[in-house]
Amino acid sequence: MTLKPDYDVIVAGAGHNGLTTAAYLARAGLQVLVVEKNDWIGGAAVSRELHPGWTYSNCSYVCSLLRREIVRDLDLPKYGLQVIPYEGGASFTRDGNYFAYYSDHDALRREMARYSPRDADAYQRYSQAIMRQCRFIRPFLLRDAPDPASLRPRDLGEMAYLVKKAHGLGARELGETLRFWTMSIGDFLNEHFENDLIKAHLAGSGIIGTGLGVYSPGTAYVLLHHYMGDIDGGIGAWGFARGGMGAISAALAASFETHGGTIHTGAGVAEILTQNGRVTGVALEDGKVFNAPVVASNMDIKRTILRHVDRDVLPEDYVRAVDRFKIRGSSAKLNIALDSLPQFPAAPDHASFLRGDMHTSESLPELERAYDDWKIGRWSEKPYIDMLIPSQIDPTMAPPGSHMMTVFVQYAPYDLAVGGTRSGENWDEAQRKAMAETVVNQIEIACPDIRNHILHMEVRSPAELEREVGLTEGNIFQGELTFDQLFFNRPIPGYSDYSTPLKGLYICGSSAHPGGGVMGAPGANAARNILRRETRAGRMKGYAA
Amino acid sequence: MTISPDLTLGLVLGPVHDRLEALSRTRNWYGWAGYAAPASVESVEFEYFALRNQASLFDISPMHKYRLRGRQAEAVLNRLVTRDASKLRPGRVGYAVWCDEEGMVIDDGTLFRLADDDWRLCCQEPMLDWLAEAAWGFDVEIADESYSLAGLALQGPTSFAILDAAGLDVAHLKSFDHAAAEPDLMISRTGFTGDLGYELWMPWDDATAVWDRIWTAGAHLGLRAIGYEAVNIARIEAGFLTAGVDFQPVQATERLNRGLTPFELGLGHMVDFSKGHFNGRRALLSAREAPRSLLMRVDVEGFKPAQGALVYHRKRREVGHITSGIWSPTAKRNIALAHVATPYATRSPTQLWAEVYTQEEGRWEARMARLTPVEGAFFAPPRARATPPARR
Amino acid sequence: MSQFDTIVIGAGVNGLVAGAVLARRGKSVCILEQGDTVGGMAGLTSSDGPALAHLIYNLNSRVRRDIGLGGKDWPFKSKALPTVSLSEDGKHVVVDGAAVRFADGSDHPQATACSDLIRRLTRYGDLLRQLAEAPPPGGDSPVSRAGLKQLWWLGRFGLGVKRLGKSEMRAFLQVLLSNAYDFILDELPDGRLSGILAADAVRGAATGPRSPGTVFSLIYRMGHGGDVTLPQGGTAAVMETLSNAAKQAGCTLKTGAPVVRILTDNDHVTGIETASGDRVYAKQVLSSVAPLPTARLAGLHHFDIEATRRIRNIRARGTTAKVNLRLSRAPVIPGLPGNLLGARLLFAPSADYVEQAFNPAKYGDMSSAPVIEAVLPAPQMDRPWLSTIVQYAPSDLSGGWTDAAREELLQTTLATLARISPTLPELVEEAQVITPDLIEQATGAPGGHWHHAEMSLDQLLTIRPANLLGRYAIGPKGLFLCGAATHPGGDIMGLSGRNAALMALEKTG
Repeated sequence: MTLKPDYDVIVAGAGHNGLTTAAYLARAGLQVLVVEKNDWIGGAAVSRELHPGWTYSNCSYVCSLLRREIVRDLDLPKYGLQVIPYEGGASFTRDGNYFAYYSDHDALRREMARYSPRDADAYQRYSQAIMRQCRFIRPFLLRDAPDPASLRPRDLGEMAYLVKKAHGLGARELGETLRFWTMSIGDFLNEHFENDLIKAHLAGSGIIGTGLGVYSPGTAYVLLHHYMGDIDGGIGAWGFARGGMGAISAALAASFETHGGTIHTGAGVAEILTQNGRVTGVALEDGKVFNAPVVASNMDIKRTILRHVDRDVLPEDYVRAVDRFKIRGSSAKLNIALDSLPQFPAAPDHASFLRGDMHTSESLPELERAYDDWKIGRWSEKPYIDMLIPSQIDPTMAPPGSHMMTVFVQYAPYDLAVGGTRSGENWDEAQRKAMAETVVNQIEIACPDIRNHILHMEVRSPAELEREVGLTEGNIFQGELTFDQLFFNRPIPGYSDYSTPLKGLYICGSSAHPGGGVMGAPGANAARNILRRETRAGRMKGYAA
Repeated sequence: MTISPDLTLGLVLGPVHDRLEALSRTRNWYGWAGYAAPASVESVEFEYFALRNQASLFDISPMHKYRLRGRQAEAVLNRLVTRDASKLRPGRVGYAVWCDEEGMVIDDGTLFRLADDDWRLCCQEPMLDWLAEAAWGFDVEIADESYSLAGLALQGPTSFAILDAAGLDVAHLKSFDHAAAEPDLMISRTGFTGDLGYELWMPWDDATAVWDRIWTAGAHLGLRAIGYEAVNIARIEAGFLTAGVDFQPVQATERLNRGLTPFELGLGHMVDFSKGHFNGRRALLSAREAPRSLLMRVDVEGFKPAQGALVYHRKRREVGHITSGIWSPTAKRNIALAHVATPYATRSPTQLWAEVYTQEEGRWEARMARLTPVEGAFFAPPRARATPPARR
Repeated sequence: MSQFDTIVIGAGVNGLVAGAVLARRGKSVCILEQGDTVGGMAGLTSSDGPALAHLIYNLNSRVRRDIGLGGKDWPFKSKALPTVSLSEDGKHVVVDGAAVRFADGSDHPQATACSDLIRRLTRYGDLLRQLAEAPPPGGDSPVSRAGLKQLWWLGRFGLGVKRLGKSEMRAFLQVLLSNAYDFILDELPDGRLSGILAADAVRGAATGPRSPGTVFSLIYRMGHGGDVTLPQGGTAAVMETLSNAAKQAGCTLKTGAPVVRILTDNDHVTGIETASGDRVYAKQVLSSVAPLPTARLAGLHHFDIEATRRIRNIRARGTTAKVNLRLSRAPVIPGLPGNLLGARLLFAPSADYVEQAFNPAKYGDMSSAPVIEAVLPAPQMDRPWLSTIVQYAPSDLSGGWTDAAREELLQTTLATLARISPTLPELVEEAQVITPDLIEQATGAPGGHWHHAEMSLDQLLTIRPANLLGRYAIGPKGLFLCGAATHPGGDIMGLSGRNAALMALEKTG
């Protein structure tokens, strides 16, 4: 008996990647349903009013990586997306000074020269090296990673492209590239700079979201992962989505719905249904069943495969590989409603860098020790914080004169060690409070009167992130960004083309190449592969094709 | 080092900004290494003619200046630059270029030998990191004088007379000589204009006083304050290169393969293979025979400056571009510097054309203008080198 | 004074091998050694104590062939040792080849998983060995003869990887860049097993098992079958074999002749000068000392500025000390049968233990609970030596390696050994504590590092020891590196010296 499917494709999860996949497929003329467990959409790209009058981007909080090809293909500005760049940043020190990062080249030079005239000059060499790596990697973001074990023409073609690009670098640059990809951010910075504070300021991007320390090989790549985005062509620039990160999801959803897509919220996928080794649809938690020959899962691969697919329909070694996929929570977050702008005594009045990202770590060893704490199941005694007050730029985030502060915290473990056990269950109210206290102490280095301004504070450990958004262990990238889980190894070797051994099931979230961040690339790439493999139409239209 | 807050954002003011501000009518400032520098002061045309006919004063303090002192300073500099620094005697200044390991030009500048073991390097690009790398393992001390040493360029036919009137005796200075005219005031017979001229070097805080002294002395000798646009015309006439315009300083480029060798820039005579190893020597030995392109001096047909134009061979094949192009008011020629790929630059240099776009009162036109190679500088007056120098 | 085709600086494993290989190809070779004996770092001894390197696990058969010892085996006898993972509760685990059991003979529940893992690593190691047995590719145009040779060699490696089969190939390409901690714990939750594998993955390195790239070093150790052997007559016997081979091949071997300068003329090496002012001339000089000391010998001004920067940035933080203990009699280790006393004894009770031991080293402190590899080369002997390798003892110890610091390291070592043999400290009659600073002093190896340059992914293969220096040639024409800093790296393996010699031959024809 053949049942006429309700939809051509069902996307499980309305995160930004799921919505991206859905929007591309709807534009290609397919009937697409997006199902979402929460009552709201956006996954980890959300704007939520958790304190009346204040909007929190309570998961992801800044924007740069979102590929401009996708923004253009899906016409996101038409659906309300506005991305506003922010100015620079700063690292504050316990002795009342700061290092400011300015986007103005000459101002940055002078600022660096305050600490080290040589570092001020060396910055050019550093930024040249980083920019070259960005230029090298960017073309790969919207392409498929080839399977080196495969002789399929597509894989050979992608492999040839990789070899051509690598060859085009020339011997010297290829060597530098190999080094860069395998280095620790600490070693890389030590090769360029002498000043501790400057190094600490630049190192942060190498550890955000990862279960690695600044001295772990591979963290230079993680830094790149945060630098390879752009705003209006300014590579490495970061900005705010006006209205919070949810504005990105809202624009994607609007683009999707305008092209005939349907979003069903409030009930997550209970099971991905199969018949004869092929996907037939999904059963939702609320009992509804929708049929479709293709399901694209925006959930991370562990959640998708281990929780929602019958193990019997999958090869054992695939399930084992998924089980071993490393997806560790390492970050926490504080979202704070402030009654007014707090004082930063070290900063001059109206300092532009207060509108940027602010930190309080002073040296590489301090950052590495923060990682050591995490390894044994504790949050860092002196965490790295990435703190911004977007309401200074975006008037929609808080009532006039009041402010919203977002504080990203590295490191906080998912499996908190309490009394000899390590588990996500250990995150109770008391633990969250204790961690928040640690973080607020850290904020006080920059902003001693912060406590007097707090109206409301949301404390999110990796456990909350898992519970609410669904990210396994609260890993913000849906899987560690280590060599063994990148490019053709992501998410599982042999399945870097967004497929799974189960026919009709695709992975479209950040677990897939090229990984996490509000980038949209996995979603766009997955859509391209679904169209190519599952439809007669075959080809995706647009720049991301 | 001491850490003092420096909160200045945007352009900062140079050592003689007060004087320039008072004179500026065009209020046309541009950023030069972070300083507010005048693109013009009153009118580019009259500033240029002051430079070629009387005298001009231009603040060159934003240049980067480095001091190298010590037993092995000469060894370090010889490791750095392509020419033989040991041949430069104390009291002399030398033009120099330096390359990366692949033989691509990092920057050019002037090298002052102050004493046997005491040197100064002046250049456009920040170079402290690179100098420190070059000096690692050598007995030499490097000081960044960029923010402590000011420079004023006094250029033009009456420049000698002005210095004389200011009580500064430089009659004995030959081209590329330098001497301490007074304590804390060094004068070199150098410049970026190809004309008779001097550069005055003094402590940052003395600059205004020196400016005033020269200004007063120049009152009856036609002295004018000028901006970069006038200097730029003069330097193209002299055939001098500007970093970032006529070549890309290789350490400041993000894209690969943008570097050029001294041979490709027409600076082959600056490379001395016989002096022992220097940076890029091994690469340059093989690059010497096979330049990928040449920077040519050309006369452009017609009267429209060809700045930015693409260069074609036989009007068809794209083979290069114009890096700097102006109408030369002194040579009365339409002159330009052009990067042209080999073999077109050498094999058939008379078959090169520039595609010049012109916009006149709202109408755009494209025109092919024939290029004629020119040997040597477009303008090189004998007064530039005569010693003792002429007074007007 | 005298003229040779080639001069080799340093008579360690790699210097001797390089000399022998070149001499057998008809070159006249002079090997100059600063010390009074040959043997370099591996053979470093203090009075009559055991040598710095006490075991061999990757001495290469191509090296044996190329230095003229042909045949099937080395002339000295070497006994394969089982490895014992020592446990505080006396339930020690024995790994003998790929066989795993408890020391009391009972079965270990993860024996099969462990054997499978070891076999897999050995199979991968076999592939990596192929990479080690030739100079890394690069530098030559693919249409040149040298370029074709490299392509053929790469193709052969690629074919080897393909031969693993699709799924094994994918697994190989994944684990190669992975971290040992996860890789091991995914298979072996038992700390005694995960601990010793984690310890082997980081032995001699300035890294912990959680660092990506540590599976690579683990596989690398398995490149020669995975056996750990104890040479009869000790490391000295190995060194004697190598120096005899060099002499038989026709090398002139001079000890007590420290080279102070490499001579050049017109960007070409012409010879060397020794401390006594003697000059030896040759058109090629192979240096088995580390890159920076080599560059200094030739004069930094002969190198491009980028090259000296790269050389300076080579990371070589030694983290490993040698502690030799003269015991009044063989120790008693509760739970360990006497016949296993001569095994390779490892104290690394879990992968986490190894990682925790590494933590202090990152900040310039020594481990308070170190990882220890101990060997009792002759347990039956009267007053036997216990030869231990203690990790981590960083070369850049804060406060420096004072006598007090060395004493602290000794006490920490004894306290750690007491955890598995409470009576052992009482047996100690004499102790030699050879810390990284002393190793550097004696051998010139930067940071006293075993491999002259950290064996991390960013310093391997074509980028070992640094970018553009992967083809052994360095600076002026005729100058080559042939020491442990070059591909494929240190240990008593000999491939760096052999590969460098082959490269030097290729350049002169």
